[in-house]
Amino acid sequence: MNRFDRQSFLGMDSEFKLGAATLGLVGLGGGGSHIVQQSGHLGIGGYVLVDPDHSTETNTNRLVGGTLADLESLTAKVAIAERLIRGLQERPRITPVRDTWHNATAKLKRCEIIVGAVDSFKEREELERFARRHLIPYIDIGMDIHELGGKKYLIGGQVILSMPGKPCLRCCGLITEERLAMEANKYGAAGSRPQVVWSNGVLASTVVGLITQLLTPWFNNPPDFVYLDYDGNRGTLTPNDRMELLRNKICPHHPPEETGDPLFDVREFNRHVADLALNKSKFSSAPPATSLWKTIWAGIARALGL
Amino acid sequence: MTIQFKITRHLLEEVRRDLARPHRYAHERVGFISSGLSSAEENLLVLARTYRAVADGDYLHDPSVGAMIGPDAIRKALQWALSEGVAVFHVHTHGGIGRPGFSNIDLREQAKFVPNFFQIAPQCPHGALVLSNNSVHGHIWLDGDKSFEIVTGFVEVGAPLNIWSTS
Repeated sequence: MNRFDRQSFLGMDSEFKLGAATLGLVGLGGGGSHIVQQSGHLGIGGYVLVDPDHSTETNTNRLVGGTLADLESLTAKVAIAERLIRGLQERPRITPVRDTWHNATAKLKRCEIIVGAVDSFKEREELERFARRHLIPYIDIGMDIHELGGKKYLIGGQVILSMPGKPCLRCCGLITEERLAMEANKYGAAGSRPQVVWSNGVLASTVVGLITQLLTPWFNNPPDFVYLDYDGNRGTLTPNDRMELLRNKICPHHPPEETGDPLFDVREFNRHVADLALNKSKFSSAPPATSLWKTIWAGIARALGL
Repeated sequence: MTIQFKITRHLLEEVRRDLARPHRYAHERVGFISSGLSSAEENLLVLARTYRAVADGDYLHDPSVGAMIGPDAIRKALQWALSEGVAVFHVHTHGGIGRPGFSNIDLREQAKFVPNFFQIAPQCPHGALVLSNNSVHGHIWLDGDKSFEIVTGFVEVGAPLNIWSTS
């Protein structure tokens, strides 16, 4: 018996594949924290966890893994996520980055999959563009609560799998110039938006299912483009009409010519690698540290002629 | 240092389809893949962009090898590296299943033409790939004067992800 027996239908090598994979998770709030927990249970071995914030009182209605004690100690969300995973796995490979994802790009580039659980359209678009540049599948999760009038509300959301070359968030109509402009105009004026734990859980569970499909599918030909709509009032998650309409469409917004770093120069890269190797060899050839007591004793011994 | 080569399933299928086409006298086909590049600390990412087939008329008659491409094919690939500032990888297939390897003739020819790309686009590494029907193996030159490095990992980007490692 081992802990993965109950998910052995994922394939004989699924434990290895999941353990070898590294997941980039940007945004560790309501949605992201569910994904952290489930990925830890599932057996994903590597994580780049990115969030600049610490847990606050308004997070406690939905931040999985967060405790009341974290409020007093101002525990970073990346630390809460790391603690959660380490409670589920013996030797996970975790790179916590308590910063914006723009300062974690070197780590994120090496991930097999990036999940964005971020608030703004601007951030979504930038993160997707970064993922596409590095040929990394990007999964976007988002939910919102809209007032219908008369103190009635609609909970809605979406999960989109944005595969390099396939339809993107702009193709899906999620990112539009109008939305970006509206968001930019509201910048600084918006208060905290309503969020609840159960709808985040539905969307996050769907994301973990997509991650599993990408790494170790349990059926043939899993879809390489997914656009699902969540209706929290009806309790449904259904394919958006565009999922079928765009299925075989090639994305015009992120052409292949955009992949990679336009300023890359292999001569600089070679120099950088040589410098790193030199520093490593300097470090490894340094004499072993001598303890203070040994140094003092050696001095006394010399003075006494011993 | 690790060197990872990533290619979308869509592009890899295009490459395989093209290389599978029969030629009038060559036994196998050859093409070139252009790539963007990125680094992550001491690790190199080679990110495939597009594919160009070697034109039918650019093969030489040489029954001693599977395919011998002429100077025009190399010139066009060099031109591509120059005009677009991209890394260029020679690609052909040996078919079969499992991890493929280069033949001695492949190694001899690579050593002749790949370093020439550094005269044209010295800012990019260049190299050669050989495919089987379900895997890939690659050599990459990081400097026109040095010998090649082995590409340490490949990712076929699609659903599901296909990930190969040489380690």
